[in-house]
Amino acid sequence: MRRLRFLALLAAIQWGAAAASAQDSIKIGADLPMSGPNAEYGELFGAAANLAVEHANADKMLSKKLSIQFEDSQATPQQGVVAMNKLVNVEKVPFVLSAFTGVSKAIAPVGDRAKVVSVNGGGIGPDLAELGEYFWNVIPLVNLEIRVMAPYLVQERGFKKIALIYVDDPAGEAIQKELKENVPKAGGQMVAELQVPRNAQQFTSIAAKVREAGPDLVFIASFGAQQAQIVKQLRDNGVSQQLASYSAFSSPTVTQLPEAKGALFPTQSVDWRAAGMSERVAKDWKAKTGKEPNAYVANYYNAVMVFVHLAQALEKSGQPLTGENLLKQRKANGSFDLVGGKMEFLPNGSVSMPIQINEIDGGAGKMVKGGTMAK
Amino acid sequence: MLLLQLLINGLQLGAIYALTAVGFSLIFGATKIFHVAHGAAFTIAAYLFWWSNAVLGLNWLLAAALAVVAAVAFGLFMERCVYRLIQRHEGAFFTVFIAAFGVQIIVQNLIGTVFGRGFVSVTTPLSHSVQVLPGLFVAPVAALAIVVAVIGFSALTNYLSRTHTGMAMRALSENPDLIRVFGLDPGRVAQYAFAIGSAIVVPGAIFTAMTAGLNPAVGAHVMLISLAATIVGGIGSLRGAAYGGLLLGLAENLALWRLDPQWSEAVTFVVLFLFIIFRPAGFFGRPHAAK
Repeated sequence: MRRLRFLALLAAIQWGAAAASAQDSIKIGADLPMSGPNAEYGELFGAAANLAVEHANADKMLSKKLSIQFEDSQATPQQGVVAMNKLVNVEKVPFVLSAFTGVSKAIAPVGDRAKVVSVNGGGIGPDLAELGEYFWNVIPLVNLEIRVMAPYLVQERGFKKIALIYVDDPAGEAIQKELKENVPKAGGQMVAELQVPRNAQQFTSIAAKVREAGPDLVFIASFGAQQAQIVKQLRDNGVSQQLASYSAFSSPTVTQLPEAKGALFPTQSVDWRAAGMSERVAKDWKAKTGKEPNAYVANYYNAVMVFVHLAQALEKSGQPLTGENLLKQRKANGSFDLVGGKMEFLPNGSVSMPIQINEIDGGAGKMVKGGTMAK
Repeated sequence: MLLLQLLINGLQLGAIYALTAVGFSLIFGATKIFHVAHGAAFTIAAYLFWWSNAVLGLNWLLAAALAVVAAVAFGLFMERCVYRLIQRHEGAFFTVFIAAFGVQIIVQNLIGTVFGRGFVSVTTPLSHSVQVLPGLFVAPVAALAIVVAVIGFSALTNYLSRTHTGMAMRALSENPDLIRVFGLDPGRVAQYAFAIGSAIVVPGAIFTAMTAGLNPAVGAHVMLISLAATIVGGIGSLRGAAYGGLLLGLAENLALWRLDPQWSEAVTFVVLFLFIIFRPAGFFGRPHAAK
């Protein structure tokens, strides 16, 4: 009996401590892949978001300590919704970091109903701009990337015949649609469009189909481990043509893959040497990971900093930190000083930024064409 | 030429599938344990080979030996510390399945934590294809995979039919008491089945590290294919599992001749459904009378 009382007391103390610590901090959520074949992205996005939290807390930007509650989306819509429900209904966070087109589309209605802001820094499907007022994007969506990439590849580099390998999910299909529209417009031709299942791991026969189509360039629209598998297996199986992709190629797995050397990919324009926030993030990121930062680091750092700036303004005016107030404040704020310079939200909650084109060189990628605004 | 290319690719992939399916089938056939964590043995072996060969720079033979030791140790651990404990407490088939599934997830996360969650691969000239005829590319690893599969399967078949332990393994699923009559310990025989079944995934794991590359979740796919091959080949039949694996590898690749690539994996399961409907006993399984 005495032991039981002791345990009850211990539980009460712990519960009290947890409740007190919850009141002493401001919590936001993150619905990111922490397991499965895309966990590498969750690790990268989470580390960038944590760096922003570290900076915000070190600079005492908010009245209380900021923290992130991570939940595992496994990069699947079903698991993403489970995680989002927990963040919204149990953790009661006003702001959630999201990633992946499929996951983002699945969780947006949950956030919209609960008036919780979701911010995407990794998914690129163009329809992510149409998911309602509570869904924001801090990454330029793929329609903008392709509108810069297609004329560059066809007109400036002379790759007229393009073969596409794309994954059968909303992101892959969005890229196929954009290429189909923009490549002929630039004077090129799509010579093959090969859709692959999301969990496929064998691409030797896809390489045979690509060789048969005889393209000048192979565009790969996948993500995670699969895109690296495609690159390796194409190169191993006689496909020597130029490779290109969208911003997912900025993943360290791809940039450090020897077979990917020379591949072209777009990202938003970020000058990491610019004095101030960009330089500080680049320096601290390199010290923590030993690697150069990429566009995803900027996106998730910026996503957290958007919250910090909005929360600062709300605290100053004495308003509670709710999703509804964050949305109102974002509309009132206009622009934000973030990594890469000033960022302004469009009325639909997405952003328009200059896009640069990079080439994989064994490091984080070297810029081969400076920032261009999509037309 | 495309058809010939797809056929060669199918044989290479089928050989890898056959090697993994045979291990699963051997364990299931001998012990009736639904060893879902067989995919985890594959992942452990593949990562250990990659780490010791590509990262530490060990000789490939030594790296392969380490992979065998790790896969066998994992198989024995599962038999001794997980399945035997559950069965001692009269754990149901479903309990064993959930336990194995849980271990598979734990291994996936451990591998991710230790070796990173990104894509890794072993760079070797063996995986680089050469043009043997106009439009026909073949990598040395394709021939190697087929030869190793044939040698591995022949050696295993000989072992099972010509040695006392091999025969005991075959008898274990039928009548464990009979094994005791012959002075053998059924627990020890089950351990042999786990050790050999786990060791035989190693060649497939090494070829996958060289050709397709790895990520911590690679085992789940392997397990799915092993299971499908075991059903197609006939549950309990090693020869069936080998043919089943080969058939699935061929079907996955030859489907591209006429179908779009997104159908290639679906074809595997169409083959599986056709077998379940029209030949539920598989290639070489024994039909069961309805009770």
